[in-house]
Amino acid sequence: MEIKYTIQGLLIYATIATYLLAFVATIARRSRTGHALFLCGFVLATIAVIYRWIHVQHVPLQNLFEVFLFLGAACYPISWFSRRVLRIGGQWADMLIGVIVLFPAGFIFNAEPMQLPPALQSPLFAPHVAVYMFSYVFMLKAAFQAGEQLLNKRPRIEQTLIPPEQATYELIAIGFPLLTLGLVLGSWWGKLAWGRSWGWDPKELWSLASWLLYVGYFHWRYMFGTRRPRLNSVWAIAGMAAIIITLLWVNLSRIFAGLHSYAS
Amino acid sequence: MNRFKRAALWAVLAAIILLTVLSIYGAFIGADRAQAFFTSVPLAVYWLATVALLIVGFVLFRRLLRVPSLLLLHLGCILVVLGMMWGSKGGHALQKRFFGIDTIPMGELWLYENVDENRVFDADANSVRELPFFVRLNDFRIEYYELGQLSIWSRDGRSWRMPAEAGQSLSLGEDLGTVSIRRVFENFRIDIKADEPVAYDEPGGSNPALEVTVEKPGTKPGKRYVFERRPGHANANDPLVLDYHRSIRDYVSELEIVKDGQVVTAKNIEVNHPLYYGGYHIYQNKPGGQDEYGTFTGLLVVSASGLNAVYGGYVLLIGGIVWHFWGRRVLDRLKIQRAAPEGSQ
Ligand code: HEM
Repeated sequence: MEIKYTIQGLLIYATIATYLLAFVATIARRSRTGHALFLCGFVLATIAVIYRWIHVQHVPLQNLFEVFLFLGAACYPISWFSRRVLRIGGQWADMLIGVIVLFPAGFIFNAEPMQLPPALQSPLFAPHVAVYMFSYVFMLKAAFQAGEQLLNKRPRIEQTLIPPEQATYELIAIGFPLLTLGLVLGSWWGKLAWGRSWGWDPKELWSLASWLLYVGYFHWRYMFGTRRPRLNSVWAIAGMAAIIITLLWVNLSRIFAGLHSYAS
Repeated sequence: MNRFKRAALWAVLAAIILLTVLSIYGAFIGADRAQAFFTSVPLAVYWLATVALLIVGFVLFRRLLRVPSLLLLHLGCILVVLGMMWGSKGGHALQKRFFGIDTIPMGELWLYENVDENRVFDADANSVRELPFFVRLNDFRIEYYELGQLSIWSRDGRSWRMPAEAGQSLSLGEDLGTVSIRRVFENFRIDIKADEPVAYDEPGGSNPALEVTVEKPGTKPGKRYVFERRPGHANANDPLVLDYHRSIRDYVSELEIVKDGQVVTAKNIEVNHPLYYGGYHIYQNKPGGQDEYGTFTGLLVVSASGLNAVYGGYVLLIGGIVWHFWGRRVLDRLKIQRAAPEGSQ
């Protein structure tokens, strides 16, 4: 664990603190204050991303530090969209997600700027990673809703919003096209950079496994509808577990040698 | 839902779960073995069974045909699977056997400057095969990022980095002093003038180097040169080890395709920008360089068999999924919004 005594580090710590305050305010039923703080945190996170962008002179999505920084900024707009458009709750969880993803960016991952290697200099690089990151936040929110459904615990302030099982489905329905787009863009880019649209690399296989778990979820839910809500939720959580492995384990672990090692 | 439909859906779930488990297994065995596994005969049976299941699905579930988004996305899956199978090594073998189409699935092409070459090395078959055209290399170059980096290590294990720019200084503490970069050379040369060595930059060649001074209070500043091509070139008694490094930005091969003695097409290929000709893509995949025979480049030649089906499948899959999950929702909302003012009147 390492403290970053830089402007970049300060921006991240300020965002974490603001998200934490937003979380505390929200669970203390000061939801307006909570929302205002969440918005402030988002502004800080966006400044941190832009600062990084200027500093490294390329879209900052190259390594785990940059990807987690991006996730820290993406959670507010997705939370806002889910609440306003989809009528799905869990803002308190979104604030916590913001803290959870920014923590490793602030204290664990190496922030040393890196120049893009030849393979990453593609117009497909930024959209491929960005759509994946947006889909991951949707799927993480879906997993939180699935967890609420499994535990049968729901904050009272959210009783007017749509129930967790349905919310899980709605969130996955929004995230799944992004997940598919990420996979397809990656395959297209792989063809241009490495000559193969599918390399059977560990990261590719884990991303295929995550995608398939959501395909399984849809077919299962088509078969059983909401008659087995707990199992619907289990699919959603399994999908998220596979995503976490795709994102982290493959990069951090040395047991899966593969092509996607730039991000480590 | 009748018995057949239910059985088909269970089969779909079983197929999805099986492929998920196999993907996870594949992730543990490394890319090469996973590729061999997923393109083996038992897996070919699996892929064909899944395609058959999808076709059965179209027959059993009329909705899959009637709802355009479901039709597109399921058809997309069929196209991707078939396209990938057609473009695989097994697919190439079948194409040769049943249709007489003899293409090289994938091979390495090592090219020297100004030599026309059509022989590619098929690593899997461990054989050399010939392309129906020749490839000529006019030039190969490695492009670097302008700004390099100077890495510094002290003998007691501390390390620092600084941008390799003239005018940059870094203090390493009282014991080690301050390192400053005085000059950056693209092509370092040295001459003796009036008994003094004089370093200069000669345009045209490439011998990247830095002129660095290390200043400690009370001592004369020591000047030294750090060469990119000779890392670790240091005096064993020196308290500091310096290393100059520039990152590679791109590899570029200037290629021409020659058929029947005529140049039919030309392209400067780079990583991410292959050349397409005669059913093959040619990639800047392996770095090149220079040896005693001259400048060379390492290319990858891949047949484009099945690629249109895969890309077509991707378009259908994305189109179907986006329409199914987003388009229809947006449309429903618009309909509700339009209906609301009428209802309220
Ligand atoms: C392996 C590739 C497959 C993919 C990616 C896929 C994807 C999907 C998706 C995304 C849906 C929409 C789910 C929803 O609206 O909730 C769906 C529905 C469906 N799929 Fe598949 N599917 C695949 C294979 C199959 C197969 C092999 C069958 C054959 C029996 C099948 C039959 C169905 C049926 C019956 C539905 C429900 C349609 C409805 O909403 O009324 N799928 N599939």
